[in-house]
Amino acid sequence: MTHVLGQFSIMLALALAAAGSLAAVTSIVTAQPAWVRSARNAIYLVFVLLTMAMGALEYAFLSHDYGLKYVADNSNNTLPGFYLATALWGGHEGSFLLWAWLLALYSAVAARLHWRTHPQAMPYLLAISSALLLGFLCLIVFLADPFEAAKIRAADGAGLNPLLQDPGMVFHPPFLYMGYVGFSIPFAFAMAALLRGKVNEEWIRATRRWTLFAWLMLTFGIVLGGYWAYYELGWGGYWAWDPVENASFMPWLVGTAFLHSVMVQETRRMFKIWNVFLIIATFSLTLLGAFLVRSGVVSSVHSFASDPGRGVFILSFMTIVLVFSFGTLVLRGDRLKSEVEIDSMVSRESAFLFNNLFFLVAMATVFVGTLYPLMLEAFTGSKVTVGAPYYNAVFLPIMLAMVVLMGIGPLLPWRKASPEVLARNTLLPAALAVLGTLATIAAGVHEIYPLFGLAVVYFVFGTILRDFHTGARGSQRREGLSYFSALLNAITRNKRRYGGLIVHFGVLMMIVGLIGSSVFRIEKDVVLKPGDSFALGSYEVQLKGVTEVSGPNYSGMAAILDVLQAGKQVVELRPEKRNYTTSSMPTTEAAINENWLRDIYLVLDKPTGDGLIIKGYLNPLVKWIWSGVMVIGLGTALSLWQRRRLMKEQA
Amino acid sequence: MKGWKIAIIVVVVAVIALFWRGLHMDPRFIPTVLEGKPAMTFAAQEINSGRIWKLEELRGKVVVLNFWASWCRECRAEHENLLQVQERFGSNKDFVMLGVVYQDQDEDARRFLKEWGSNYPHLLDPKGEVGIGYGVSGVPETFLIDRNGIISCKHVGPLVGSELEKVMERWIKPMLAGKELKSCA
Repeated sequence: MTHVLGQFSIMLALALAAAGSLAAVTSIVTAQPAWVRSARNAIYLVFVLLTMAMGALEYAFLSHDYGLKYVADNSNNTLPGFYLATALWGGHEGSFLLWAWLLALYSAVAARLHWRTHPQAMPYLLAISSALLLGFLCLIVFLADPFEAAKIRAADGAGLNPLLQDPGMVFHPPFLYMGYVGFSIPFAFAMAALLRGKVNEEWIRATRRWTLFAWLMLTFGIVLGGYWAYYELGWGGYWAWDPVENASFMPWLVGTAFLHSVMVQETRRMFKIWNVFLIIATFSLTLLGAFLVRSGVVSSVHSFASDPGRGVFILSFMTIVLVFSFGTLVLRGDRLKSEVEIDSMVSRESAFLFNNLFFLVAMATVFVGTLYPLMLEAFTGSKVTVGAPYYNAVFLPIMLAMVVLMGIGPLLPWRKASPEVLARNTLLPAALAVLGTLATIAAGVHEIYPLFGLAVVYFVFGTILRDFHTGARGSQRREGLSYFSALLNAITRNKRRYGGLIVHFGVLMMIVGLIGSSVFRIEKDVVLKPGDSFALGSYEVQLKGVTEVSGPNYSGMAAILDVLQAGKQVVELRPEKRNYTTSSMPTTEAAINENWLRDIYLVLDKPTGDGLIIKGYLNPLVKWIWSGVMVIGLGTALSLWQRRRLMKEQA
Repeated sequence: MKGWKIAIIVVVVAVIALFWRGLHMDPRFIPTVLEGKPAMTFAAQEINSGRIWKLEELRGKVVVLNFWASWCRECRAEHENLLQVQERFGSNKDFVMLGVVYQDQDEDARRFLKEWGSNYPHLLDPKGEVGIGYGVSGVPETFLIDRNGIISCKHVGPLVGSELEKVMERWIKPMLAGKELKSCA
């Protein structure tokens, strides 16, 4: 029953998406409003149908309906309820359905929100949204049907991959998709503007919040992936420059460039072609990411099953999108000449220009690193893996340059900055950087890279503080408030600017965490018998014994380890090795004790004849990474809050 | 046309072409590191005659080394093809084909050969040393060793259909004719 409902829904949705695309295109050709309304209603209906399909699949999981192949492959009777409910996106088919559902949701919301405000762009917006939906629904109906009936109805399912049974992994994919799909709305608006030949600032104002929201979701999605890797995979790290990780990082980099670059067009009416290019590139990179992840053309530690048929489909789909969007840009780009030129190299505009260049170069380095093995194999047949050393050597300098710019950019006025003003504005942050760096050296950090990185962080922190302070003082003078209320007043008056600065502050926190946990990390690999101990930084870790553990769908063993400092117990940690009943692959559960300074991270490897193999990591400042992204979320939320009307006044 | 337009077109076309090519490759396929390396020498006893075969003594000859076992179903599938290889090239004095019995009972191996026939020598590897030396991870595996004792090519899996043709036409035939192999594929 469920699968009939589900199958019916996705097929009807496919037909409606096709009809909607036709209606929208007809409305563009004939300019008759009735066609636009039909296209809009089609989108609404597609959303309703896909919601039904999602509901049907969810119900199938919760009711253990192993008549569906997808349910039988991705869940079983002992799977805890929470993971049962979220197993829906545990495989390719459900992931595509979730993706399509989000696309339908966003398109429907966009159609409703912008129906009155953007009647001219609406037919294009609907045409592009329905065409994208049509593409995804073709993939789902013909190549990745989650409602496919099982050949034989099994008594129990195969179970969900144990590695995916973790809260980080439950939320990682939906956030990524919310980000990926979110960029399709600004993309559709940009294409509408391009096709209509009216690339003024309107499409940017209309999509500012869409972009911010998509960017934030993508940021959360990426960090959640790292969080999951850190807590679940047990190798003590959170980012490995794996092709699948890079696939989500590339659209983020270009999306971030876009996010900044649109401000220039809004304020100064420059960078018009550039902005359209950036959003097309961002959206294309989300599709490229889907292709890399789902087709298996690059070898990755993420062991997704590869399916060449789907690979061919996604590639064809991507080709159509790329040819259509970049083709339109190439053909129509000449109409979008900038009305203004950059006045001075020392100005906000040029800071944004450099910001964009750095982000694009950063993306290019990741892009080349990710695709290099594929290129080399295509031309020479040799096999290589591009790993962390390449990225660290190439990416880190660019990242540092970007952070420096992050400090200077907001200080610069539009058009032209006078050197005196710049000197006055940077004096205090520079002093802070010098003092902070000296303090860091005194604290025992002598390596050049982290010192330089931290100096930059102090400097940027100084500029942010200074900015808040100036705002508060101004407000204090004007309205005679106390310092704190004046600060709040300044922030609420200009949520967008201060939201941005808070995001920058979150980025600084993350960078502190990245530097700490990559440069100063201590790693030990020891064999212990009960009573043995080993040193981990200033800590001593002692093995007390071993115990058995069990959960609803796994059993295993745990090592009991005492962490001591100066003879006193800090904490007792119990890393586990689990065997899930349905999977022959044992998984590790790292035991972690964290605070603001460091994580003590212990992993139980397999027992040998001589004792237990224990891996110990001392990871400094990791918590700053997770907290930093929270601050980024806060800043973005503040920025999102700002209404449009106010923006127009400013522009 | 402006430079940026050409750049966009070039990049888009290149990426699509690369991915298209990528779809027809298997990223999980790992080539053997042994190709191009000197073959490990060994001295092993023939299963029926008891004669000791040493690889050093076969310098100047093209050697095909086939690892097999009686318990291996794929080995049975390729066995008659191996006989065919020996039939075709065996008369050439520069050609030697050797089977290596991999992790098997001697008796079972003998019975296998009696049942399915044999026209070339098979060596015993009781301690599995030859198998380890050649990095054999599963049978059947076939190695082509050139006149200088260098491993030219390695094939994993049974020699059937196009694989048999590959080994006969693109490995052994050109090498016996003194030609350079372009690739092992």
